[in-house]
Amino acid sequence: MLEWSTAAPAISSAFLASLVEVVEALTIVLAVVALRGWRPAITGTIAALGTLAAIVLALGPLLDRIPLHVLQIVIGILLLLFGLGWLRKATLRAAGIMALHDEDAIFAREKAELGAEVARHQASRDWIAGMTAYKAVLLEGLEVVFIVIAVGAGRGLLIPASAGALAACLAVLAIGVVVHRPLSKVPENTLKFAVGVMLSTFGVFWTGEGLGVDWPGGDLALLGIGLLFLATAALSAMSARRLAGAAA
Amino acid sequence: MSVLAEVFAELFSMFAGDARLSLGALAVVALAAAAAWFAAPLVAAAVLLLGSLAVLVVNVMLAAWRQT
Repeated sequence: MLEWSTAAPAISSAFLASLVEVVEALTIVLAVVALRGWRPAITGTIAALGTLAAIVLALGPLLDRIPLHVLQIVIGILLLLFGLGWLRKATLRAAGIMALHDEDAIFAREKAELGAEVARHQASRDWIAGMTAYKAVLLEGLEVVFIVIAVGAGRGLLIPASAGALAACLAVLAIGVVVHRPLSKVPENTLKFAVGVMLSTFGVFWTGEGLGVDWPGGDLALLGIGLLFLATAALSAMSARRLAGAAA
Repeated sequence: MSVLAEVFAELFSMFAGDARLSLGALAVVALAAAAAWFAAPLVAAAVLLLGSLAVLVVNVMLAAWRQT
């Protein structure tokens, strides 16, 4: 029986994190489409999805063999490192210290770089374009795979977390095919902020469980930890903005 | 070959994109593990949670301070 108090944060984390990653991958794939058409873009994307599927199929059975508390502590620590990294970047961007992620600028830069690369290699233009799409989908997809495994494996929630990630992929792809341009209107930093809070929360919770902590309130502790991360990151962003502003 | 190198670089940056943040977080986990071993699990929980929040705040404020 699916416990929604545990499943909902896992599904929403996988969905929101995947949304961010797929938007980033889509920007580069669309740059490939703009320069060389759909064929190398689709070929590269399908090849990358195949590689990711092979990684998941290879890792899946291994996860079942690892004792739960070891899995919780390893994944908890990795999630904490990953989540704090996202939250730090999102906080610095919210404070105006780090530049916001601009999908339109990335699209233009990728298109220019790919155009220059293609011009240098006359004979293998589609191969270079396809490899660009392959690398983009593979590298962003690796983060999606890690997040799905990390938020799903500790509690037997791999399938719900995968469904959350798949829903995000389909949503972004559907919108991307229709609008046929980078999704620059997606509030990426707000999403990263929220996902950073969620992943850091899971990281602390599972590392704690791996260390033998019996969290007060059980799974409801996730809510309390999440609120603390949210409040701390928001206050840090405000203080950092004030500090940087005072010096300017 | 370059794809493999980029995959490993991506994996590294996923978990250790900012060395100070990662080392700080690992130090907090080590302290929490020591607390779980020598004190009580709830002390470990407090160390882990408050330590992680402190690492985030210190890292963000240091970045802001370096900007000034």
